[in-house]
Parts: sequence; C-alpha cells; structure tokens
Amino acid sequence: MRGRRLAWLLVPGLVLLLAGFLIPSVIMIFAPPETAAAEVFARLGQMLTDPYDLAIIGRTLGLGLIVTIACVVLGFPTAYLLARSNSRWSGVLLAIAIFPLLLSSVVRTFGWLVVLGSQGALAQALVALGVVSEAPQLLYTPLAIVLGLLQLFLPLAIVACYSALAQVDASLDDAARGLGAGRARTFWTIVVPLSWPGVVVAATLVFAGSVTAYTTPYLLGGSRQRMLSTQLYTYSSTTIDWAAASSIAMVMTVLVFAVSAISSLIGRKARVE
Amino acid sequence: MSVRTTQTGTPAAQFRAVTQTFGDFTAVDAIDLDIPDGKLTTLLGPSGCGKTTSLRMLAGYLTPTSGTITIRGKDSTRTPPEKRNLGMVFQSYALFPHMSVADNVAYGLKLRKVNSAERTRRVTEALELVGLGHLAGSRPKKLSGGQQQRVAVARAIAIRPDLLLLDEPLSNLDARLRLQMRSEIRRIQSETGLSVVLVTHDQDEALEMSDQMVLMKDGRIQQQGAPHEVFAAPANHFVAEFLGYENFIPDGNGAELTVRPEHLVLTPEASPAATTGAVSLTATVLDVAYRGVDVLITVEAATPGGEMVRLLSDTRAAGAPDLRPGDRVSVQAPDAHLVRLPPKS
Amino acid sequence: MRSRRPVVASLAVLGYVVMIVPLVFIVITAFTSGSTLRFPPEGWSLRWFSEALAYKPFMTSLVSSLQLAVLSAVFALLLGVPVALAIHRGRLPGRSLLEGLFLSPLIVPELVVGLALYQQFMIGLNLDNLSTLLIGHTVLMFPYAVRVTGASLALMDPAVEDAARGLGASPLRTFFTVTLPLLRPGLFSAGLLSFITSFNNVPLSLLLQSRDFRTLPVTMLDYVQQNYTPIVASTSVLILAGTVVIAIIAERTVGFAKIFGGINT
Repeated sequence: MRGRRLAWLLVPGLVLLLAGFLIPSVIMIFAPPETAAAEVFARLGQMLTDPYDLAIIGRTLGLGLIVTIACVVLGFPTAYLLARSNSRWSGVLLAIAIFPLLLSSVVRTFGWLVVLGSQGALAQALVALGVVSEAPQLLYTPLAIVLGLLQLFLPLAIVACYSALAQVDASLDDAARGLGAGRARTFWTIVVPLSWPGVVVAATLVFAGSVTAYTTPYLLGGSRQRMLSTQLYTYSSTTIDWAAASSIAMVMTVLVFAVSAISSLIGRKARVE
Repeated sequence: MSVRTTQTGTPAAQFRAVTQTFGDFTAVDAIDLDIPDGKLTTLLGPSGCGKTTSLRMLAGYLTPTSGTITIRGKDSTRTPPEKRNLGMVFQSYALFPHMSVADNVAYGLKLRKVNSAERTRRVTEALELVGLGHLAGSRPKKLSGGQQQRVAVARAIAIRPDLLLLDEPLSNLDARLRLQMRSEIRRIQSETGLSVVLVTHDQDEALEMSDQMVLMKDGRIQQQGAPHEVFAAPANHFVAEFLGYENFIPDGNGAELTVRPEHLVLTPEASPAATTGAVSLTATVLDVAYRGVDVLITVEAATPGGEMVRLLSDTRAAGAPDLRPGDRVSVQAPDAHLVRLPPKS
Repeated sequence: MRSRRPVVASLAVLGYVVMIVPLVFIVITAFTSGSTLRFPPEGWSLRWFSEALAYKPFMTSLVSSLQLAVLSAVFALLLGVPVALAIHRGRLPGRSLLEGLFLSPLIVPELVVGLALYQQFMIGLNLDNLSTLLIGHTVLMFPYAVRVTGASLALMDPAVEDAARGLGASPLRTFFTVTLPLLRPGLFSAGLLSFITSFNNVPLSLLLQSRDFRTLPVTMLDYVQQNYTPIVASTSVLILAGTVVIAIIAERTVGFAKIFGGINT
C-alpha cells in the first residue's frame, strides 16, 4: 500500500477542502453577494480608522490578551502540579481539567449567567455580606467576558502546558534540588526554560480562541460589550452588511494568522537552540 | 588473607530503623546501615529490593515514613535535598538540556555563590577529572552516553559534596563502556577520597567496585561486608543465589549446603572416586553445554535425604571429562568451598 | 507537598474554581422549584427536567444536532482516512506541506468559515441549510480525522503490511484485513472527537441555521436571550450527564486523556 499511486486517495479530501473551504473563503473576501470587492476594502479601511470600530477591535485584543495571560498564569502552575505529582488524585484532577473541553461552550458559559446574574450567587452573596447595598451589575461587563473566556480556555492551556511539562524529565528537578536549588529556583531555572515552548503553544491557542469566540461575548457581554465576533454576526444576520462582515472576517483571520506565525517562529527558534 | 576492616572512623551517613512505605507496600523495612567515610559502598539487589528508595531517602527526595538518617553526625531525616550538599548522579544523568556542559557543572556552584573566577577553576578541575575538559562548551545532547555520564559525575563532584550518590550509573551504557566506567569511578573515588554510595543490580559491578557491599531484598538488608567476605560466605540462600551459587543441596535437617559450579567436581562413575568432602553424590548427566573456555554440565543427583536436585558444574574445557547425557557420574565438592546456609525462613 | 508550594497550589486551586464552580451552580439551579435563576433556589423539584424534556424546540434540535454530528463525523472519516493513508504511506513530495494544507481549517476562525459558507452556498448558490451545515461540519471535523488517524498510522509498523503482501494479500485486502483493524482505536478516537466537536459547535451552526434545522446549542443560545427560566439549567445538566457518559466510554476504550487531551498517561 505504498508509493505514488496512493496520491489518488488525496483527491476526495482535496475537493472538500477546495470547494467547501478555500474557494468560498477567498470569494467571501473579494466578492460577497451583491457587493463589489472595492466596497469590502473601503469598509475595511473605514473600520481601521473609525473610533467605534477601533474600540471594538481594541476591546477584542485587550480582553484576549488579559485572558491569555490569566490562562497561562493559572494553567501553567496547575499543569506543573499535575505533571509532577504522583498522587493517585493527579489522574482524577487531570481528567477534571480536560473534561470541560468536551462540554458545550453554551453550557459552560450559561453557568456564569447563574453566578453573575443580578439574582445570582455572587451578587446575592455580596449583598448578604454587606459589601454592597444592592446587587451590582456583574453581567455584560468586561470582567464577565474575561471570566467566561478564562473558564472556556483554561483547560486548553492546562493541556498544552501539561504536554510540554510531561516531556521534561522529572529527574532534572531532582538534580537541581540536589545541587542546592530550592523549589522556586528549580521552577524558574529548570522547569520554565525547558517547557516554555508549551507555554507559547498554550498562549497562541488561547489568544486565537479568545479573539474569535462567539458564545461567551454574546451571552456575557451582550450588546454593551461588543466584540469582533458578535459584531460579525450582527452584520451578517441582522443588518446584512456583507462588506462589513467580510472586513471583520479579514481582520480576525489576519489576527489569528499573525499570532500563529509569531508562535511558530518562536517555536522554531526554541527547537534550533 | 588479611581481612580489610570496612568501618573506619565516624560514618559518613547512618540509617537507623529507617522505613519507607508507599500505601500498603513497604519499600524499605526498618534498616540500620552505616555508610563508611571515604569508601565506596554499593547497595545491591534485584529490582524492588529497596536500594533506590534507600538512596533517594539519603538524598532527601523521599522522607522516611519512620526512622532517622544522619549525615555527618547531623540528623538530616527531614532536610530537603537542596540543603544536604550531596552529589547525586541519576540513572538518566538528568543533565540540563538548555545549558552547556560547563553551565551544568557550574549550576551548583552558582547556587553556592562561588565567585566567577573560582567557579571557572572548579568547573575546569571537575571536567578535567572526568577527562572532558575539551567539551566544556558543548550541549549535553551532542555527547555520547558515556560522556553524558561523566558530565553528570563532574556536576555532582564540583560542589564538593559530603557524599557522592550514584543511582545505577552504568545501566544505560554498553557493555564495553560499562567495564571502563567501573574503574573510572573507582579512580575518581580514590583521587577525591569521597564517600560514595552506588546503587546497582549487577553483582559483578558491586564485587569489583565496592569497599563495602550491602545486599538488599524486600526492603531488608540481607548481608553487608567487604566483597570477598560476602562472596566467600553468603549468609543465606538469597545472597548465595544472587552471587552465583547455583547448587543447593538439602542436608536433610532443613538446612542447605551450597557450592559454586566451578567448585563442583564430576568424575565418570567408572573411574574410582576419592571421597574428598562432605558432599559426595551419584548423579546422571542431563545436559552438556560446550562454551569454548569452559563446559557447563547439568546433572541430576540424589541427596542423602532421597531428594532429587539439579546441579551445575562449570569445568575448564581443557580437563573436562568426556560426558554425554545419560552418563552416570559421581559428584564431589571440596569442604573448603562448601557453604552451610541456615534454613530458609 | 501542597503546603510547600503555596503560590503554585493557590493558583491551581483558583484555576479549578474558575473551571468547576459555574458548573456546580448550574446543577444546583436545575433542581429549583422556582421559576427564576435566583440563588439560592426557593425550593427543590425536578419540574424543570420534565419541562426540558417536553419542550419541543429543544428536543427537535437535539435530534438535529445528533444527526448532524454523526453524519459529519462519518463523512470526515470517509474523506480523512484516505488522506492520512496517502500522507503516511505514499511516498509523496512535500509531505509536511500537504499535512499543513489538510489541517488548515483548524486555524481559520470558525466564524469566518461559517460566514464564507453562508454567503457562498446559502445566499450565493441557494443551497439548503442542512447540506451547507453538513459540508461545513465535515470541513471542520476533517482535520481531526486526518491528524488522529495519521498519528495511529505513524505509530503502526509498516512491516506488518509488507508481511501481509508477502503472504499473498492484495493491497486492498491488506488494507481491510491488516491496516484497518489496527487502525480501529484511531478511527474510534477521531470519530468520537469529531462527534463531540460537531455537537458542541456554535459559530458554524449559528450562521448556517434555518427555522427548520438548527442545532441544540444554537436553540439554547436563542432561548437564553429571550427567557430567564431554569429550563436551560436542566437542559445543561442533561447535556452534562451525556458528556460524562461519553467521557466514561472514552476512558474505558482508548483513554479519555489520550482522545481529548492528546495526553498519554
């Protein structure tokens, strides 16, 4: 079953890829329905100068960055503990960390509506404790979106960091300890330098996911905290502004490609070293 | 033959009633052990005997479930590894892949705030000692297994440790290199005068390298002493079998006699057999394996108690009797080489 | 051990709180007897579960979601396995480039793929939404099929295929009697991963919905926007339970962490 003849097996897959993905994507940019390509680029130019649109781009990038940092700050230590612990609970804890990856994002995000809603647990608790006199507005705030995205992408960050950490021989930690390095110093001089390519992967996945996620900004940000994704849906389904929708799609794609390119450059550098 | 004393002065480290359990499993069971100063001690035994667990407790990576470990007279039972000043060489070498050879060796010195000039001097000195001065700038990955091993040793001794600990250091090397590294490690030990503890499952390695060897099984120490003492007088069935005593002959009272294959003398039944020792049996040849230098002959013999036992004789090919399966032979073992073992517990 | 790494342990605990606590509140709220998402619940009952099971839009869209997930997983495997075979067994030039091309749908934002298909197929070609959804989901699941079955192929010793050929099996027979059976865990992993990913998908299913055919997550999203009742909580608990069942099946077969985390434990 080997040899060049097997190239024919690529054909059905290639047809799907071209017809169902690549060609429609390219046409979308240059020739949306009832719209000239020039209109799309004019709208794109406008988007990159208009303060309202720029604010949305800025919010998307800013929240994406915050979520990425938070995911790494929480995910890396969690993965480190899971990878280094030989307790019988570490398997269970790893499974609990992976499980949310299987669970619908609608379900996961809905949990925050229950927690953050005006009649929800957190608001009620704050009132009951006398911290605030009336239920604070927690939903439809940047904080709500950050929490929602953090919950959504933390499992991804943990898995990416875990995979990198699992490849770092645990006896390196022991060796550093034996040579006189305390836990903190071992962490910073051995563990982090050897597993940071995993951190780069984690950060890339989380950032790309955060700036394109729809469910969470939609449910937790609503119309008050518009992001690129919710805006794209509005343009394509409510106001039917194809030029605007295609422009956003372009911005999103460029963002994601740029981040992936930077990340693979960093990854290549790490491999060369 | 003069018997070397293995205990001189204060021990470098002491185990007192040290136990380590993992859940229901007792890895090390209340051992008492003195590691002599300035000598090479091997912990020897099959896998799961507790030797590596003992070493990791000594290094501080495991805290004993009970008992005390004293290093240089100081109770160190709960001291974390980074506060112990021991040099450990890991089975996998555990070289830091993101640092050069020199930086690996300098790592422990930097943590000890050794100034840069002194550090360079000691890194060079340690690398020279293991014969790798020319590879200081290389990355560990570019090195052969044997070279990596030497770097690991250099890194461990550069910090001038109170003890040098080696966990199965030779098991990842090929056979030829392993033999070479045995004498290399001995040389480093005698040049530095370090107290060394080496864990191994290879009895030849332990016999060749140790000043003191400690045989372990099921978390307990079976026997300890100088290699020639232990080799000549195994304390029980396990030690004898582990050191290559193949022949166990029940004496009819529950105890056993054991003799090494090279000391078992076979003579064809036809020729008159002079009775030379406590063991004199008649047997049938089962198998003859010619191996160039020597011949291995397996026989089945009847003991005085009426039991049938299989015995193995290892004779130099030059003077070996011409035997074939089915031949009747008489089996003898000289008293000087017979070891009486206590009944199996 | 915990106490000796206070910072690391606290961060990990915080991480688990963020991941788990919202789910706990969903479960609690699902059992309320009241008709709002108020916390703490006014009382306990199972009424929202029976309401969820009786609520037609949810049940219809659940069936739609399941159909779509099964079909697109099957299509993705049917198209993806040959590609994986060609990449790993054919001596083709530019192998890594080819692999990158076939994994490319993974890096383009799903919302963008959805928009492209919506514009070009549903608006442009007037294709019905079910077919468009099927194409879209298959495109998205396709990289998983290529990657996961490719990984099993890479681990498989090609000598066993050579051995079958040497014993007189034709290439096709070798594939069906040797390669495919050995590939089963990989096919199962890829299928399960595709099924779950398709079932949970929002961006594509949202853009390509129609009144007649929409998936459960999209219907729920729509419902949450209009109403504020615990029926979504009880439906979420049912989905949670179904997901747990799938996780258990995964663990009992190939291994849960291996399929969904790519982690060999």
